[in-house]
Amino acid sequence: MMLGAVVASAETRQQYGGTLHVTMRAALMTLDPAELDPALPDSIGRRAVSMLMFDTLVTLDENLRIQPGLAMAWQTSAGNQRWQLQIRPGVKFHDGTALSAEVAASSLRAANPGWKVSTEGDSVVIVRDSSDPELLAELALPRNSIVKRNPNNAFSGTGPFHTADWQPGKKLALAAEENCWRGRPFVDAVEIEMGKNSYEQVTAIESGKADLIEVVPEQVHHFSHEGRRIANSKPMELIALLFTRDAATPAEKLLREALARSVDRGSIHRVLLQGTGQPAASLLPNWMSGYGFVFPIDADLPRARQAREQVRSVPSWTVGYDSSDPMARLLAERIALNAKDAGLSLQPTTAANVDIKLVRIALASPDPWVALVEIAAFTGTAPGKESETVEDLYASERALLATDRIVPLFHLPVTYAGSTNLNDWVLRPDGSWNLGDAWLGTPVIAGK
Amino acid sequence: MMLAFAMAAQAADWSGPEQQLARKIFAVTGPGPAVVTVENRSTLGRRGSEVIQNGLQSALQALGMRLVKNEQAANTVVISLSENPASYVWVAEIRPSSGENAVVMVAAPRPENSTTHESVPMSLHKISLWTQNSQILDVAVLEEGAAPARIAVLDTERISIYRMQAGKWQTEQTLGIVHARPWPRDLRGRLVPAKDHLLDIFLPGLVCRGTAGAGSGFSINCRESDDPWPLVPSALSGGNFASSPGSTSVTIPPVTAFYTSTRNFFTGVLTPAVGKPTTVSKFYSAAFLPLETSLLWLFAATDGHLHMLDGVSDQITKLNWGSDVASVKTSCGAGWQVLTTSAEKASGDQVRAYEFPDRDPIAVTAPIDFAGAVTALWTEPKGDTAIAVVRNRDTANYEAFRLALSCSQ
Repeated sequence: MMLGAVVASAETRQQYGGTLHVTMRAALMTLDPAELDPALPDSIGRRAVSMLMFDTLVTLDENLRIQPGLAMAWQTSAGNQRWQLQIRPGVKFHDGTALSAEVAASSLRAANPGWKVSTEGDSVVIVRDSSDPELLAELALPRNSIVKRNPNNAFSGTGPFHTADWQPGKKLALAAEENCWRGRPFVDAVEIEMGKNSYEQVTAIESGKADLIEVVPEQVHHFSHEGRRIANSKPMELIALLFTRDAATPAEKLLREALARSVDRGSIHRVLLQGTGQPAASLLPNWMSGYGFVFPIDADLPRARQAREQVRSVPSWTVGYDSSDPMARLLAERIALNAKDAGLSLQPTTAANVDIKLVRIALASPDPWVALVEIAAFTGTAPGKESETVEDLYASERALLATDRIVPLFHLPVTYAGSTNLNDWVLRPDGSWNLGDAWLGTPVIAGK
Repeated sequence: MMLAFAMAAQAADWSGPEQQLARKIFAVTGPGPAVVTVENRSTLGRRGSEVIQNGLQSALQALGMRLVKNEQAANTVVISLSENPASYVWVAEIRPSSGENAVVMVAAPRPENSTTHESVPMSLHKISLWTQNSQILDVAVLEEGAAPARIAVLDTERISIYRMQAGKWQTEQTLGIVHARPWPRDLRGRLVPAKDHLLDIFLPGLVCRGTAGAGSGFSINCRESDDPWPLVPSALSGGNFASSPGSTSVTIPPVTAFYTSTRNFFTGVLTPAVGKPTTVSKFYSAAFLPLETSLLWLFAATDGHLHMLDGVSDQITKLNWGSDVASVKTSCGAGWQVLTTSAEKASGDQVRAYEFPDRDPIAVTAPIDFAGAVTALWTEPKGDTAIAVVRNRDTANYEAFRLALSCSQ
């Protein structure tokens, strides 16, 4: 009997050719990076897809240093209020037209209607209302990709792949861009199957129909034991309870405090999440802020009950979860049990109109200020910013938590599994995969 | 195999953030007695954290705080040495015996990367030549005495000349390389010192001629061209060499190979031909060894196989080798060895030397490890050493090494 086992070949130089097959859970309805689908919030998968076709003016490296992208150089003046970015010459869009400062400015205006964006020679000039030292980190966000929007509602990018076939919500086929300014990618094509649940994704990679899939926490150990190539991002997703409105009375604030103290994050982390990620009482993960550990994560039932007992009338809250996420249901049910121990009543539901939502927030950026601003947007607030110090960041995060609109629960990494012949796929600091340099090698069947 | 590592950690000056944090703590606690503990939650080493702990305690005492060990103190201060990607973050949680807890913190900039020097055992040595952030394609040693004294470094957009002065490399000149078309990914390039001018630069679809000008300056003249790249080091080209002492010598022709302008491999077209075949499979790299009566060519083909050509037959072998091979002629063993990369370790590539008695590769050195992927491996012009370029997985820097074989163990 021949027992075939796939082992990695020893080729160390990249090979050209082949089609790379990817599956993902998100079902994107638009490819325009600036057009966020209200029904489908930002996701790390969406960012990864966007960066296959588009580029940003600057990028963030793994040490969060700003690196040149479509902008070769930049300078700031007026106390970080005015930014001038010099556009890289010689770059062409997929439709063959040249990248210019005017097109870049138009793209940024479309993505950020509140920004003052103009041009000056071969440069884009951005003037903010106040000092904005995080502007470059914001420009590195995929939603600020430079897009050429053509009159027929089509758009063109400068990324390593151009669109070959697009079936919204289902499938995206991309072809290698021969004249990409960063060099033609190694693979000839990328095909992305969307809207695939975790079972379908596992089946796809095990049957050789996918080269790269997303892995949910309960599958991580399974894939690790199989010897597949697993890649974990740093924790870039925040799971949290988000109240859908502000606390109207001091009594309601007390009940929210009781709920926050009742959640046994440690037990949920061990059992349901099987140790993946980290329990969190902070909005920003510790790796990003450096101070996350000062927020206590342990459940404190006595104080939760104490807070609950100060309120005479306790309403029953509904907590909504995403019906397409099996983990979300389990989490919601477990949190409801914890809340019950504190004398609170939570009803998990998939209905849209709820008191609390169990949300999974893809942190917008590894830059802590940018990430915090985006989290704040979920709560309808904007964090104050006196300076750029870590202490100011901490104060802003505490202030956001003090609104009692959001209860952090966990920070989760994003995990992917790759086929053994998929090489040099890397994760960006924001957790999305980067396939620009990926290549397909020849799997070797070993063992007889 | 024994590996010895010596870490040369640079001493960092933490006094600024130490005093800054001490002042913030003191502003909350005042001068009363306090229990102060320090916990390291960062990648700082034990020694580093002890240095900081002592510095913080001294700074607090200098402000007038009395540090005590009993728990009767007015304040308990727990200092955590943490970090985020941008900096170290030192957090003090102040717990007074009565009243609200307080948290103060400072960011402490990270010192420059410490450097690691590895002593290489056995007979294959790597000698560090150059390190930089941007991709190195090749390094050529232009002048040397006991050690390289003047080098040329080719990266993706420029060539730079450096001279060793007072123990440090000083930039002599940097010239940009203008190219109309985008470079291919996995860009490769070669620096080939020439006899009648300083050097030639081979890049995909581009050839540049570097000439020395008046004084120490030099200039380059680039043109779009698919001129073939040399496969044989200049010192060996056209020479007669024997496979081993006492055997018949064979001539090594100045073989060149055409390189694709949009990919990362040679097309397989050789000039002059290697025996009968004028074309071989597309390949990433080539090496050669004199046999008894002929020259054996090794081509690391793009299909992952090693093709061995002796001018007549093409023997195809699948070896667990990487895609870069380079010949060296030495005074060790059979006199000719082939260096090759392999990727057996997740942490980085290895390079090892082989000889080919009876056309079967036999490892003649232990592999030497690199802290990342080998992105280039070229034989140097004299033919007795090779240049290896590595992308360090930890620092993301590109590091160029000279690889040399030593007969002594």
